[in-house]
Amino acid sequence: MKKILYTTFALALVLVMGLTACQGATPTEVVETQPPATEAVVTEEPTEAVVEPVATLRIWADDTRTPILQGLAEEFLNEYNVELVVEDLGVVQDIRSQVIIAIPAGEGPDIYIGVHDWLGSLVDSGLAAPIDLGEKAADFESSALEAFTYTDGNLYGMPYATENLGFFYNTDLVPEPPTTWAEVLEIGQQLQDEGLVQYAIAIGGDPGYNSFPIQTAFGGYVFGKDENGAWNPDDIGLDSEGEIAAVQWMVDAVNAGLMPETTDYETAHAMFESGDIPFLMAGPWALDRIRASGVNYAVAPFFPDEGAPFLGVQGFLINPFSENVLLAQAFLTEFIATDSVMEELYITGNRPSAYSSVLAMTDDEDLKAMGQAGANAIPMPNIPEMGSVWSAWNNGITLALTGDLTPEESMVDASTQIRDLIKGALVGMVNLPGSYQSLAGCGADWDPACEATGMTEGDDGMYTLTVDLPAGDYEFKVALDGDWGVNYGSNGEQDGPNYTLSLAADGTVTFVYDPETHLVEFTVE
Amino acid sequence: MSEMDKKQKPFKSQSARRKISIGVRLIVAFVLIIFSIFPILWVISASFNPTGSLATQTLIPAHLGFGNYQQLAASGDFPFWRWFFNSIKIAGITSVLSLTITTVAAYAFSRFRFKGRKTMLRAILLIQVFPTLLALVATFLMISQIDDVIPFIGLNTHAGLILVYLGGAMGLNIWLMKGYMDTVPRDIDESAMVEGATSWQIFTKLILPLLRPILIVIAIINYISTYGEFILARVLLKTSEQYTLMVGLQIFAGAQFDQRWGVFSAGALIGALPIMVIYLILQDQIVGGLTQGAVKG
Amino acid sequence: MASSTPLGNRKKPAFLPKTVSSQLIIIILLLVGDAAVGWVISQFVSLGYTPLAAAFFAIALAVNIILLVKKAYPLRWMVAGLVLMALFTIYPILFTVWVSFTNYGEGHLITEELAIQHILEIKYLPEDSKAYSWTAFKSDSGDYALWLIDAEGQPYLATEGELIAQPVPGQAGIGELDADGIPVTIEGYQRLNSILAATDPNLSNILFGQEDKTIQVRSPQEAAELVQKYVYDPERDVMIDQEDGTVYSNLRGTFSSPTGEVLKPGFIANIGLENFKRFFVSPALRGPLVRIIVWNFSFAGISLVLNFALGLLIAVLFNDPGFPLKKLIRSLLIVPYTVPALLTILVWRGMLNPELGVISRVLENLIGWAPPWFTDQWWAKVAVIIINLWLSYPYFMLISSGALQSIPDEYYDAAQVDGANGWQKFWKITFPLLLVAVGPLLISSFVFNFNNFNLIYIFNGGGPPMANTPTPAGHTDILISYVYNLAFSASRGVDYGFAAAITIVIFFIVGTITLIQFNYTKMWEEVSENV
Repeated sequence: MKKILYTTFALALVLVMGLTACQGATPTEVVETQPPATEAVVTEEPTEAVVEPVATLRIWADDTRTPILQGLAEEFLNEYNVELVVEDLGVVQDIRSQVIIAIPAGEGPDIYIGVHDWLGSLVDSGLAAPIDLGEKAADFESSALEAFTYTDGNLYGMPYATENLGFFYNTDLVPEPPTTWAEVLEIGQQLQDEGLVQYAIAIGGDPGYNSFPIQTAFGGYVFGKDENGAWNPDDIGLDSEGEIAAVQWMVDAVNAGLMPETTDYETAHAMFESGDIPFLMAGPWALDRIRASGVNYAVAPFFPDEGAPFLGVQGFLINPFSENVLLAQAFLTEFIATDSVMEELYITGNRPSAYSSVLAMTDDEDLKAMGQAGANAIPMPNIPEMGSVWSAWNNGITLALTGDLTPEESMVDASTQIRDLIKGALVGMVNLPGSYQSLAGCGADWDPACEATGMTEGDDGMYTLTVDLPAGDYEFKVALDGDWGVNYGSNGEQDGPNYTLSLAADGTVTFVYDPETHLVEFTVE
Repeated sequence: MSEMDKKQKPFKSQSARRKISIGVRLIVAFVLIIFSIFPILWVISASFNPTGSLATQTLIPAHLGFGNYQQLAASGDFPFWRWFFNSIKIAGITSVLSLTITTVAAYAFSRFRFKGRKTMLRAILLIQVFPTLLALVATFLMISQIDDVIPFIGLNTHAGLILVYLGGAMGLNIWLMKGYMDTVPRDIDESAMVEGATSWQIFTKLILPLLRPILIVIAIINYISTYGEFILARVLLKTSEQYTLMVGLQIFAGAQFDQRWGVFSAGALIGALPIMVIYLILQDQIVGGLTQGAVKG
Repeated sequence: MASSTPLGNRKKPAFLPKTVSSQLIIIILLLVGDAAVGWVISQFVSLGYTPLAAAFFAIALAVNIILLVKKAYPLRWMVAGLVLMALFTIYPILFTVWVSFTNYGEGHLITEELAIQHILEIKYLPEDSKAYSWTAFKSDSGDYALWLIDAEGQPYLATEGELIAQPVPGQAGIGELDADGIPVTIEGYQRLNSILAATDPNLSNILFGQEDKTIQVRSPQEAAELVQKYVYDPERDVMIDQEDGTVYSNLRGTFSSPTGEVLKPGFIANIGLENFKRFFVSPALRGPLVRIIVWNFSFAGISLVLNFALGLLIAVLFNDPGFPLKKLIRSLLIVPYTVPALLTILVWRGMLNPELGVISRVLENLIGWAPPWFTDQWWAKVAVIIINLWLSYPYFMLISSGALQSIPDEYYDAAQVDGANGWQKFWKITFPLLLVAVGPLLISSFVFNFNNFNLIYIFNGGGPPMANTPTPAGHTDILISYVYNLAFSASRGVDYGFAAAITIVIFFIVGTITLIQFNYTKMWEEVSENV
C-alpha cells in the first residue's frame, strides 16, 4: 500500500517535470493543429518564396473587430510583406486596462482599438501617438474626428464607428413615438391602466449614462465648455437646475409606479423585450438581442424634448513606443481607411460608421434612426477629470430614485464629491508658487502644490506664509487647491500678472493673502 | 459521532434511534442539496437554452437545444477544446507541484525544530494577508522582464503562469498540512530513527502514506482554485491558443455577455466535469477512515 | 515577531551522514545553477532591470547558504517553495511598497527616461519653413530619395545631403510624371507607396536635403523642415522649449512651466509620503471609512462562522461509513465549489433580480413581498452573506472531512468508556482537535473574506450607494472594493500609487488582527505538540 503511494507520488513528480519541460514546445505545436489564417500563412510562406516579413504589426482588437483585421492579414502580407498579428482582448472596455500595463513595460501592440473618452489619461500618460490623416480626414465624419481630438489640438485616433443611445418604442403598444417626456409617462400610465404594461420606461444600465437624454432634455449637463469650446472641468452641471429637474422627473415617475427604481441593464432590456415596458433607451449593442426577442419595435429618430445622448466613438490608436509608428499610420490611412474595410467594420460591428461614404449608404433603419436621434449627441468628455464623475453621478441618481435623498440633496452631494475628487488631496490649499520656491524648501520653482510654501489660515481668515530669502528679484502668484486651475495675479484677478518682489538684502518675507480680495500683501524684515 | 453510532448498534433501542438519526440527516441533506444545486440548475438550464438571457431564463427552457454545446464542440469560433486541455494541464501540474512543495515543507515545519521556525510560519501567514490589488501589475512587469532573458518562462507561456501560481504554494495550505502532520504521533518517527532511517526515508515511507486524506483534499483545493483563476492568466497569456478555459470563455462571452450566456454556461459546466469526476473517484480516500489502518500497517 | 524564536525540544535533526560523493554532486549542481543564475542576472543588469537582478541575486545567495550551511538543513526541504514565494509573492509586495511612495498611475505610467525620449521626439515647424507631401524612392543599395511637392505644387527631389529644386523629367534619370506630378520611375531607384516606404522604421529619422534646412518625414502624408522642439538639460532636470525659451521644470513627475503649462506625458516620480497623507489627512477620503470597516469586519466574521459551521456540519453528518447515499449526497454538496464563481455569482444576481429573478418572484407569489436585495442596505448585506455561504461551505466541508481523519479513534473509545454522549464528544474531542489542523485556515479564511473583492464587485459593485458621504461609497463596499473605486475608477483614471498606499494601510490593520488571533493558534499548537 505504502509503496504504491510512494511510487505514484514519485511518478507524478517525474511526469510533471516532463510536462513542464515540453512547455516551450507548445507554440510550434499550435501552428500545426490550428489552421486560422494568420499563423498558417506565415508558416506556409517560406515554402513558396523564402522571404521573411520585413516588419510585423501587432494589433490589439476586440472580439468583433479581430476577425475582420485577421482577414486582412493575408492580403497585407502578400502585398507589402508585412505580417499582421491580431490579438483578441475581448470587450473594447478591457483593452484599456491591458494597454496601461503593457505599453509602459515595452510589451504593447503597435496599434490598438479604443474609445475616444480614454484620450485624457492615454495622452497624459504618453500611451497614444498623434495621427495625421492628411487628405483622408475629409472622408470621416467631423464629429467623430472631433471626439478623437484632444485639448492639445492633435488627433489621437482614427475613428471607425460611433455609438449612442436610441429611443426604442414598442410598435404594438405605441404607434407613434412620444415627443415629450411628459407624454412618455402619460402613454405609460394609460397602458398600465389597461393592464398592458408594468411600467412606462426603465433605465437600462448605470443611470448617469443611460438616462442622459432625460437629463439633457431638462437642461442638465456634466461639464460646461470654456470660451474656446474645450471642456471646462471647473464647471460641473450635475447640481444645475436642469439636472435636478430631470432627476425630479425620474423620481416622480418612480413614485407614480411608472418606472422601476432599479437601473439594471438586464432588467430593463428583458422587460422591453417581453412587452412589459413600451419605451426603452438602448444602444446599438442591444440591437441583436432585441431583434432576437421578436418584440415589434421601432427606433424614434429623436428623443423626447430633444434630449441628447452621449456620443461614444471607437477608433484605432497608435502606441508611440512602437518601432513602426510610421508604418502603423500608413497601415491605418492607406489600408483601413478604405470603403471596403470600413464597410466590413460597419457590417460586423453593427454601429453607425464614422466613415462618411459608408455612413451614407447605411440601410439599417434602426441605426439610421439612432444616428438621427444622435445628431445633437454630446461626445463623452475626453478629459481625464471625467474619471472622477461616473461613480458619484450614478450614485447620486440612484440615491434619489430609491428615495434616500431628495433630488436636490443627492445631486448637490454628487457634485461636491466630484469637485473634491478632481481637486484631489490638496483641496483647500492656498499656495504662492513663484521663482523663489526652490530657495524655500521646494524641489523646483513655480510649483503650486509645494507643501513648503503652503499658506496657513489664521483666526482672522487671512492666510500667511513666512520665508527667509536671499537678496534678489523674485516673482510669484497665488494658486488655490494645489494647481493652476484657480490662480490670482497681482491685480487680484484670475490669471492676472505676476507679483514682483525685490530684496536688496537677505531678509524674512511675510506674505498675507486675503481670500476676499484675492490680493497678497508682503512685508520684508 | 459516527463512530459512536457504529458501536451502539448492539442495542435495539439504539438501532431505532439510529434510524431516526439517519432520517433526520437525510432531510437535512435534502434541504442542503436544494440550496446547493438550485443555482446550478439555472446554469444547466441556460446551457441548453439557445436564446435565453440572464434574467428572463426559466428553469425549463422554452426552446431546449444543444446549440450551445454544439457551438463549443465545433470550435468554429474559438479553440474550446484547446482551452479545456490547457486548463486541465495547468491546473493539474500546478496542483501536483504545489502539493509536493507544500508537503515536503510542512514536514520540515512539523518535525524539525530550528531557529526561526515559528517566525517563518507566522510570516507565511502574514504574507497571505497582504492585499493583492497591485500584485497583478508587479507580476506582469516581472514576467515581461524575465521574458527578455528566459523566454520559455516569460509572457504567454504556460510554464511562466504555473511558476506564478506556484509562488502561492508556500501559503496557507502549509498550515493545513502541518496541522495534520502534527497529529501523526511522533513515536512513529522515533522508532524508525532508532532503526537508522533517514528523515527522507521516514517522510516518504512512513509519514506520506498516512497523509492521504489531506493530500487529496489539498490537491483538489489547489486544482479548483487554479482552474477558476482568470485574472493573472488573462494578463499573462496573450494568444488565443494559450488561453485557459476561464480566460477564453470570459473573453469570448464577455464581449456579448447577454447573448453568449448560454455558451458560457455550457463551457463552464464542461469545465467543472473533471473536478466532479476527480472528486467522485477520490472522495472515499478522503473520508475512508484510513488513519487507523495505516498506522497499524 | 522576531522575539518569537522557537522554544521546543531541540532535538537534533536526524539525517544520514552525507557521503563525499553526494556532497560533491550537490556542489557541482550548485555551481552549474549559480553560473546560470549569474548569467541571467548579468542580462537583467545590462537591460536595466536592476530591482529584478537584485531580487535574483538575493534569492540565489539564500539558496546557496541553505544548501551549503549544515545548520540550515531543515530549510532545504522547502527551498523550492521559498524561492517561488520570494519571487512571486514577496517581490510584488516590495513592488507595492515602492509604488506607494510614487505617483505611479494614469498620467504617470512611464519612466522619466521614456518620457524624455518621447518629449525629445516632438518636432515643430518654424515659421517660414515648408511642409511637403512626399513620395519615396529607394535605390538598390537602400538609399532613399524623396519626391516632394510643396503647398504651391512645386516639386523638389531630395536625397540625404542634397535638395534639387525644380527637377525636370528626362534629367538625372527622372522618368515621366504621372497624373499627380510624381515621376513614375527614377533611374536606379524604385518607387514605393507609403506603406512600403514606411516598413523601414528608420525612414522618419533620415535627414533629407541640405544641412541647414533638413527635411524629415513626419507622417505618411507629410515631410517638413522640422526642428526638435525641446532640449533636455540633465543638470537641472528641465526641458527647454527651443521655440520660445520657456523652461519646464520637473514637478513631481511632470515638466511644468512657470505659468502652469505642462508637457505630456508625465512620468513616475517619487512623491514621498504624499499618498499616505492623502489618505489620512483629506477629510473627503476618510468619510465613510468607519462604516466600511465595521461592515468589512462583520462580513468577514459572520461569513467565517456560517461557512465553517455549515461545512463542518456536513462533514460530521455524512462522515458515517454506513450512511445511505452518502457518496451521492457529498458529491452534490460539493457542486457549488466546482463551477467558477464568476459564473455563479452572476446566476445569483439573476435569481435575486427584484423584477424578474426567480427568488423574488416566488417570494412575491407566496407571501406577497420580496426583499429589496439590491436597493436596501440590510437586505443587500444579507444577500452577500448568503451567496458567500453558498460559494464557500464546500471548501470547509472538504477541509473538515480531511481533517476529521486525523483524529484517532482511540479518543472516542476512551470517551465512550467515560460515558460521554455524542454532543459532548463533539465539543470535547472532535472540535478542539479539528481546530488544531484547521485553526490557521480559519484565520486565513477570515482574511480571504476580508478582501473578497470578486464577490462584492461582481454581485453589486458595493451598492446600494451610501447617502451623504464625501466620496462615492456603497453599503456593501468592503475596504478593498472601496479602495478599488477610489484608486481605479473614481479619481482621474488609475492611481496605483494611492492604491498601494491604502493597500499597505489595510495590511497593517488586517495583519495586526491576524497576529492577535495567532496567539490563539499558538494555544492550539501546544495541544498538537502533546499528541
